[in-house]
Amino acid sequence: MTDIARPGVFDQIDNAISRLAAAAREQGAATEESRAALDSIGSSVDETQASLEQMARTQASVASSAAEVLDGLEASASSIVEISTSVGGVRKDSDTLAASSDATATTIEELARSVKSTAGNAAELAETLERLVTAGTETAAGIADTAARGAETAATIEEVATTSVQMAAGSVRLAADAKQVGARAGEVAAGLRRINTSLESVASDAAEAAAAVEETASTAEELARSIRSVTELAGALEESATTSASDLAQIAASVEAVAATAEKNAAAVESNATGIEEVARAAAATAISAQEVSTGAGSTTTAATQLDVATRRIVALVDSTRTTAQHVTTSAKSGGQTVTRSLAGLVKIREAMAQGAGVMKDMGKRAEEIGDMVQAINLIADRTNLLSLNASIEAARAGEHGRGFAVIAEEIRALADRAAAAATDVAKIVRGLQSTARDAIAANADGLRLADEGAELGEVARGGLNSILEGVDTLGAAIANISTATDEQARVVQSVAGSASKLETESRTIARAAAEQTTATQSLARAGHEMRTMAKQTRDATAEQARALRDLVKANTALTATATRVTGAAQEQATAAGELAKATLQMRGAAQRTTASVNEQLRGVTAMVAGLDEVAAATQRTVVAVAEGAKGSADIAKAMDDARRHAATSARSILEKARTAKEIETGLRDAAQLSAEVTRATGEQATAIGALVKETDEVRRIARQTARAVAEQSTALGSLAAGATRQTASMQTVARAAATQAAAVEESAAAIRDVRGRTRDIAISLADQVKQSMVAAGHVAGIGRELAALRIVGGVEGSDPGVPVNGPANGAEPSS
Amino acid sequence: MTNVLHVAFRVGAAEYVVPASLVLHLDAFVTATPIPGSAAYVAGLVQVRGRLVPVVDLRVRFGVTSDDQPSVGRRVIVVQSGGRTAGLLADSAREVIGIDVTGFAPPPELVESQATGFVKAVAALGTRLVLLIDVPRILGEEHRHD
Repeated sequence: MTDIARPGVFDQIDNAISRLAAAAREQGAATEESRAALDSIGSSVDETQASLEQMARTQASVASSAAEVLDGLEASASSIVEISTSVGGVRKDSDTLAASSDATATTIEELARSVKSTAGNAAELAETLERLVTAGTETAAGIADTAARGAETAATIEEVATTSVQMAAGSVRLAADAKQVGARAGEVAAGLRRINTSLESVASDAAEAAAAVEETASTAEELARSIRSVTELAGALEESATTSASDLAQIAASVEAVAATAEKNAAAVESNATGIEEVARAAAATAISAQEVSTGAGSTTTAATQLDVATRRIVALVDSTRTTAQHVTTSAKSGGQTVTRSLAGLVKIREAMAQGAGVMKDMGKRAEEIGDMVQAINLIADRTNLLSLNASIEAARAGEHGRGFAVIAEEIRALADRAAAAATDVAKIVRGLQSTARDAIAANADGLRLADEGAELGEVARGGLNSILEGVDTLGAAIANISTATDEQARVVQSVAGSASKLETESRTIARAAAEQTTATQSLARAGHEMRTMAKQTRDATAEQARALRDLVKANTALTATATRVTGAAQEQATAAGELAKATLQMRGAAQRTTASVNEQLRGVTAMVAGLDEVAAATQRTVVAVAEGAKGSADIAKAMDDARRHAATSARSILEKARTAKEIETGLRDAAQLSAEVTRATGEQATAIGALVKETDEVRRIARQTARAVAEQSTALGSLAAGATRQTASMQTVARAAATQAAAVEESAAAIRDVRGRTRDIAISLADQVKQSMVAAGHVAGIGRELAALRIVGGVEGSDPGVPVNGPANGAEPSS
Repeated sequence: MTNVLHVAFRVGAAEYVVPASLVLHLDAFVTATPIPGSAAYVAGLVQVRGRLVPVVDLRVRFGVTSDDQPSVGRRVIVVQSGGRTAGLLADSAREVIGIDVTGFAPPPELVESQATGFVKAVAALGTRLVLLIDVPRILGEEHRHD
């Protein structure tokens, strides 16, 4: 039974739980719905509250507007009261006006008469001022003229400045040219010094050559002497040979004697041979010397050629120096021209400045005239013032009737005072103009002085340039001197070269002759040697002669022939020696000439060096003069710059003057206009017064009407004031009601705020409820799940009986 | 508000006023013919509108010693006082002004004693101070009456 009933119970429980869960869910949903409804209630309550607050604000503005209206009403009420009081015053015044307009009418006529006399005075003033304006315009024109002249002066000064700058540039160029000339002169001097050195070496060479020639000459003389002795010996030999020949027949007898003679002969031949050998040696030495002379002459020729080349170079240098000097002259002349132009420009400046001074003095005179006119205006203004014061006093005496007249007299006084003030201003301006003119005259005097100084400086510059020109002239003369000297030198050098070349040729001839001589002496020496051999043979033969007499005669004849040959040779030698001596003498002459010409050359070169020194000095002078010129030019440029600056200053001051003159003119025009205004004003016043007389009656009429209208106005204003008071009262009531309303609205707003609070509380508690319902639903679901588990367990136990239903629960309890 | 016209004039550094009602005429001063034996402050006689009028040199009368006396613009103010007509010689007089007489105050005592009573009252016109002169006292009439 239990087995059958158990599943039924579970199902029941299961159903109940399902229902429970559904109910809980329903409740949650219902609670959610009520919360949403409450939220919407809350938001509508919020809206209501906002509307209420807006209404409260509107109410407050209504209340303040009402208060404002109230204030305005109160103010209008008080204004109306004020207006009505003042209208009362106006009424009184208009009555008085009506009464006084009668009196005014009569005094106005009196005034008209006095105004006419014032108009006359004003016209006079206007005329005087017109004259003043004309004078002012003339002054302005004069000043403008001065300004134009000043500008002209400035332009001239500008021109002069440009010219002086050009001149300075020219001077600088001049200085550069002069320096170049100096450099060239230095070069020339260096070249000359080189020539001098080479000439000195030539001179020493020549002297050496001369010495060698001298030596050669003496050797040659010695040679000649020895040759003469040889000739003498040869003569003696011949003589003895002839004696031998003639005496041969007699001598033949004695072989012993012949033998002895032969012996002697051999000895003589021996000594002869020795002498010949000496001659040969001497001839060789001569040949060597002659060669040396020839070499020396060659080197002399070379030196002379070098000298010629150097001289030609000097001539070219001198030419280029002359060209440069001409350049310098041209530059200096152009410098002189620019200085002359500057001086002319300065004279022009001086003239323009003198003219300017005249114009300024004229202007000063005009300013004095203006001063006189201003004094006249002052006098008239003073008189007008006096007239107006007297008119005022008369008006005061006339009492009420004179009141209008007094007003006009016061206006006239004010105008006269203004005229006087304007005249004082004019006087002040004229005084300023006079002092400016005085300054300008002083500045002009300064300018004149500066122009004079400029002219002096120009003269100095001209002097400097003249000294440059003089220096250049001196330079030219020096160069001409140098040119002449170098030309002469060239000629001398050429003759030196020619003589040197001749010397060379001659020395060569000598050398050749000496060589020939040497050959001859050598052959002589050979002959001497042969002779010696022959003498030996003769001795041998004599020895044979001693044995054979016939042989002796024959031998003696041969000896004579030999002696004759010796004599001829000796004579030939003597002739050669004489020739040698002659050549040597010639050589000596040539050497002496060479020395002399070299010395002459040296003298020429020394003179040339002296000339060059002169050139260098002249160049130095030129450079100094040019530097002076350049400095002068720079001074001119500076002075011109000063003059330019001064001219600019004077132009500025003249312009200022012109401006001042314009101001005077304008001031005078103002014064003239003012006086014209016075005239016109007085004329207008006269007309106005005429009109015034007519208008016065009208005024009187209108014043009466005004009085009536004002009375009416006064009444109307009274009733208006009463209405305003009533309005004020009703407005106060409105304000009070608005205040009450505002309080009520404030109260409703408070109540609504309360309702809103409560609604919020309910919503919060409903939310709690929802949460709790959810929790409950959760629990129910848990129970459902446990039940399902239980049912599964129960199903298993149902198929296995013997185990109680509560078994697992009971079994689990102790263990947990 | 009772505006009364006054003639304003200058003597030395101060500005003075005299009621216009006392003034007959204003004239430029060129020269006066000296009267032998007259008081030092009497500059002499001048002709005004055909009448001979004695002129009181206010510089001498007021004891103004500064030497800034102008060469031009000097004025003779011809006044009538107690049946006498006399001219007052001022440095300048270029204005007729209306003055509210209620604004006149008596001068301080020290000033009054030093000025020998020539100043009757003082008024301020804006920044200007004007001194109202006592004409009979300046003309020396009170001595005559005493």
